[in-house]
Order: sequence, then C-alpha cells, then structure tokens
Amino acid sequence: MLKKIGLVAVFTALISVVVATTAWGSAKAPRALAAATASVKCGKKVTIGVAYPATGPAASLGGPQWDWANFAKKTWNKSHKLKLAFVPGDTQLAGNNPQAVQVAHAFASNKKILAVTGPAGSQEMEDTASVWKGAHLGPVSGSETRVALTRATPGTPRETTPGYFFRTVPNDGQQGDNVANFIHTVLKKKNVRIIDDEEAYSQGLSAQVKADLQKVGVTVTTDHISQQNPDYNSVIAAIPGGTQLVYIPWQVPAMAQQFFTQMRANGKNQVIMGSDGTDDPSTFKGAGSYVSGFPADTKSGGFAKFKKSHNGQPEMFGLPTYTSIIVNATAIQRACKAGHGKTTRNAIRKQVAKVKLSKTVSLLGFPVAFLNSNHGKFQGPGDLGGASAFGIFKIAKNGTYQRVG
Amino acid sequence: MRKYALPVHLLLFNVYAQIRSLGWEGFWTLLRNGIVSGSLLALIALGYTMVYGILKLLNFAHGDIYMVGAFIGYGVLVAFGGALSPTIPIVPLIILMFAVAMVGSGFLGVAIERVAYKPLRNAPRIAPLISALGVLFFLESSVQLLTNSAHVLYNSYALGGKNGQFGPLLNPVFHVDHIPFTVVHTLVVLTAVALMVVLVWLVYRTRFGKAMRAVAFDREAAAMMGIDVDRVISMTFFIGSVLAGAAGVMYGLYIGDTYFFLGFQYGLLAFTAAVVGGIGSIPGAMLGGLLVGLFQAFSTGYVGGQWAEIVVFGILIGFLIIRPNGLLGSRAIQKV
Repeated sequence: MLKKIGLVAVFTALISVVVATTAWGSAKAPRALAAATASVKCGKKVTIGVAYPATGPAASLGGPQWDWANFAKKTWNKSHKLKLAFVPGDTQLAGNNPQAVQVAHAFASNKKILAVTGPAGSQEMEDTASVWKGAHLGPVSGSETRVALTRATPGTPRETTPGYFFRTVPNDGQQGDNVANFIHTVLKKKNVRIIDDEEAYSQGLSAQVKADLQKVGVTVTTDHISQQNPDYNSVIAAIPGGTQLVYIPWQVPAMAQQFFTQMRANGKNQVIMGSDGTDDPSTFKGAGSYVSGFPADTKSGGFAKFKKSHNGQPEMFGLPTYTSIIVNATAIQRACKAGHGKTTRNAIRKQVAKVKLSKTVSLLGFPVAFLNSNHGKFQGPGDLGGASAFGIFKIAKNGTYQRVG
Repeated sequence: MRKYALPVHLLLFNVYAQIRSLGWEGFWTLLRNGIVSGSLLALIALGYTMVYGILKLLNFAHGDIYMVGAFIGYGVLVAFGGALSPTIPIVPLIILMFAVAMVGSGFLGVAIERVAYKPLRNAPRIAPLISALGVLFFLESSVQLLTNSAHVLYNSYALGGKNGQFGPLLNPVFHVDHIPFTVVHTLVVLTAVALMVVLVWLVYRTRFGKAMRAVAFDREAAAMMGIDVDRVISMTFFIGSVLAGAAGVMYGLYIGDTYFFLGFQYGLLAFTAAVVGGIGSIPGAMLGGLLVGLFQAFSTGYVGGQWAEIVVFGILIGFLIIRPNGLLGSRAIQKV
C-alpha cells in the first residue's frame, strides 16, 4: 500500500515539475518576444547590455573589459545628447557556459536593452547564438575570436547567423597567421609544442597555428591540459627535448602564469607564448615570454586618458570593448534619428552593420567597418574589414608588456 | 573488434615512441611527479577511508575540506606579507601555515560531522550520503562566492627569493639522473610520510586508536564496552580533516595556486585512491594514493594530458569489477 502511495507521489511530482517548467518557459517566451519586437521610444537615455566575466577564472580579463566599457560610456555621454546606461551581465566564462545562457535570456527579455556588448568567450557565443537571434539582438563582442563565429571552416559550419554577430577584434585566423608568422620569421623557431586547454577557442587557435607552422616546415607537437587541473608538471615533463617554444592558447591568465612558473621550476627554459586570452599584465608576468594581444592605438589621446585614470595601467585586453560600446552607441543614435525618436532592436542591429568609425574614434589604430560578405581566407560578415592585426608583446623582467610585433 | 585494432595499435605505438623519446630523464621526472602528487592524494584518501571504516559513510565533502585547507594556508601567507615580501622568516611562516590550516580544517570537519551527519546516524544509509553531497556543494559554492571564482596564486616558488626570483623551495636536495628533487618535492613527500607514520602509530599503538578500531569493528559492542562512540567519531573526522588541511597547504606550496573547484577534482581522485587501495584500509589508502598519483603522472607524460582522467577512472572501474575490495581491503563478513 505504502509502495503504491509512494509511486503515485513520485509520478505526481514529476508531472508537476513538467507542467511548471512548461508554464514558466511559455510565460518567458512571450515576454522575450515582446521585448524583441517592441518599438521603443529613444528618450534621453538608452541601455546597452554588457556581458562579461565579472567573476570566475577569467575575471582578471573581465575587469579591463568593464573598465573600458565605462570609459566609453563616460566619453560618449560627455559629447552626446543621447546618454548611455548599462545593464551588466556576469557570464563567468566558466565551462559549459550556464551563466552566459542565463545572461542572454535575461537581456533578451529586458525590453530596455537595445544592444549588447559581449559576451567575452567564443564558446559562450556558440551557446547563446540562438537566444540573441530570437531576441533580434546582434551582440558586438570585443574579445570573441573564433573563426567559425563569422565564417564556415572545413568541417565546421558558421556558428552565428550573418547580421546577428559582430566583433571589434580580428579573428583567430588572423591571430593564428600572425602568431605563426612571428614564431617562424622573427623568433626563427623550428620546433614548437602547442598545448591547448580543450575549450573551443583554444582548439580552434591551436589548429590554425599548427597548420600555418607545418606549412613552412616547422615541427609541431601537441598536448592538452584541463582548465580544472593546474598541476602541469607531468605535461611539462612530456615536452619533447628538442622543443624551442611552447604555445599556450588559453583563456585564463592565472593558468599561464602557473604554467610559466612550473616550467621554470622544472628546469625547462623554452620560450612560452600565450594568446590574447592570457593578455593580462597584472597576472601573467613570465619574463621573456610573449603574448599575442588585441590591437591598440597606444599613442592616442583617448588611450592616454584611460591609462591616467587607471593608475597608469593600460588594461589593453579591454580596449576593443570600448570600441564595441562606441559601435553600439553610434548604431542606436542613427536608428533613433531614422525612426524620429523611436526604434526597434532590428533597426539598431541593421545600423550596427553599417557603422564606420575613424581611426581616432576606434582607438584600435585603424578604422572600423564591418564586412558584409566573406573576405580572404578567414573573414566573414561581422568581421572587421580593412587592415586589422593582433599585436605581439614581449614580457620584460619587470612584468611590463613591450610591443615587438 | 577488428575496427578498433588499428587505432589501438596506433595508440600503443605512440606511447612506445613517447617513452623512447622522453628517455630515462622523462621517466624519473614522471616518477618524481607521481610520488609527490600521490603523497597528496594519499593524505586525502586517508580521510575518506577512516570515515568509511568508522561510519560506513562516503564523506564526499572531504575533498572540499582539503580545498578549504589550501585557502586557510593562503590566508596565513597573505597575513604575513605574501610570498613576495613575507614579514617573518619562511620556515616559521610555513610551519604556521600548516598549523593554522590543519587545526582550522580539523574543526571544520568536526563541525560538518556534528551538523550534517550526526543527526542522520540512525537514518537509512542514503540520507547521510545525500547530506555529504549537499555539504560538498555548500562548501564549494561558498568559497566560489567569497573568492569570485578566481584562481588564487600562492606564488610559493618566489617565497624567500629576492626581487620575485625563485626562492629556496626550488633548491635541489638531490638529483637522480640530472633530475632535481627540490626542497618542495622533498617537503611534500616527507611531511606526508611523517603524518602517515603518526597516524599509523595513533591507530595501532594507542588506547584511542584501539577505541577507533573497536568502533569500526562493531559500534554497538564498543558502546557497551564503555567507549564514548560520539567522541571517537568526532576525533576521526578531526584527524582525517587535519590530514586534508595539511595536504591543502602542501598543494598550494607545490602547485602555487588554489581555487574553489580544487576539492571536487582532487576529492574524486582521492576517492578513487581509497577504493583502489581498499576502502576502510589505512595502508590501502596510502598505497592507493601513491598508485593513482603514479598512474596520473605516467599517463599524462606517455599518453597525453587529455588521457589522464580516462586512465585513472578506468582503473577505478576495473578495480571495482575485478577486485571490489581493493588491493588491501578485506571482505566483510555478514552475519546470517
């Protein structure tokens, strides 16, 4: 008798959960749809959603993104009648990206949010692309570099819909080419070990650099680590004797610093090179190492102003996020003007595709304009057109980053 | 099966090639790494096995006590100026880190036992198991919240060094085939061995240890003989957690880093070690820890970083199928 009651109770509970979830889900859907399609009055203030890792293992990268985003808001609001406001979303840049999905849903159903900057990680965009599309939002990211986000690659279809994703950084195809070229022609290394962290961003970049190096006759071996396990001693022991450089396309600067420390502690003196995900002078300070970083116009007045207001720290990883805010703000302003004070997310998204920023405004060192078709080997709609390249920095003994390529 | 023959042969060939390529230097390095990480796993595994021996409970929260111990050690390090500019000499600093982390972890273990397990002592076995899982996630999420999920760098290699250069922890104590066994390697292994020796002495040579063994054998009979069962259980949790706290500090000094997810990761490995060695057996936990550490190091070095967990947990499954009592575990006699 008790067994039967128990079974009925379990069954009833299961049904209740299914009904509740469906009801909740369907209640959310009309709200998100309403926010997506609603025509809004622009008013004096417009809201941009900023998705970035405020906490989590990559928080040291999210911090600079938030700082530069706020600098962009301050700069814009000083000289424009239409003021910007932010709604932040902490995506954590954690494995499996549950926070990124939650943030995407939250932004989608918030009708105040007219445009989105971020998220930070390519794998986060993979998981949230359908949410943004459903919400008629076209995020402009200042750090997502995976090629497949804008261009189909062999074996991998394009991961976003054209017109629903833009980025103010060059992509990994360009970064990979840059890095491989630097390793081969400047550092003149003939034997390279690539160790990825098994995330989508890392594996894409690893494959690109490996292919480029092997084309010019460099010997490349590969290995993998897990972001969850910072004991690299045995991975380091497995590095073949003839290796001259170890390339680590990782997303967590603290891991890069740990790897450098453990390499030296194990008596291994190979040169280490990190990707843009390790570009954090406050954390990754391995003297003699190299880092591939986002482009930046370090001679501009805007750059100097930011540095001055942040204790002399340039926080370069966040600079393209500044550009993405200016892109979104410009698009919103134009859409509001075209709509005579009213606009929709779709209208703004279409304006983003047409935004052109001069070199002085972008702070990247080159003008910004988005492609609307495939270009070259790696670029697709949503990528930056024109000359755009990653910088290569060498880490000095005092931990400062000096541009060398 | 034939379709798997070629990939298996390729894998074996690659392993053979890697062994040849790394040579004896690679072998000694991996052996050293395996012994060091195995020592850490053995200390954590002892906690699992002791609690299981007494209460027949798999204390899944034990890995998080290890993680908290690492953070307590970091807190002491920072309180005294950090690794780059310590305000006291490094030997007393390290001793203090151990002492505070061990005591703090010990009390945390006792608190967890009192709050989450004692009320469920007479409940069905699944209840304390679920409670243990709840404590695991509670501790992990609490630390995650407090630290904003960030990696916390011990910078231990710079401890005692000048201007951020490597300090004496990396000075070699001896070499094997040019492979240095440094101060930190030696410290971890010797401390682990010393703690295990003390534990074995405590359990097999003292009155209290006799009481522990009696409670593990038959709790009711031990109570009838006048043994304070509650006190013995609390002390068992205390001792296991002290060992985990020590392992946490050693991890921080050896790896140089700690973060909130560490407990789950290493807890699983240590649990595997306890099962491989024979859950409930103290010598088994030590042996299991060492073996798992060695398997992890050699599979990482010879097969590849992505294979380490596949190998370790594959061994766990294999042991459960072939020898469910583990290497040194004994078969439980059931009264009929």
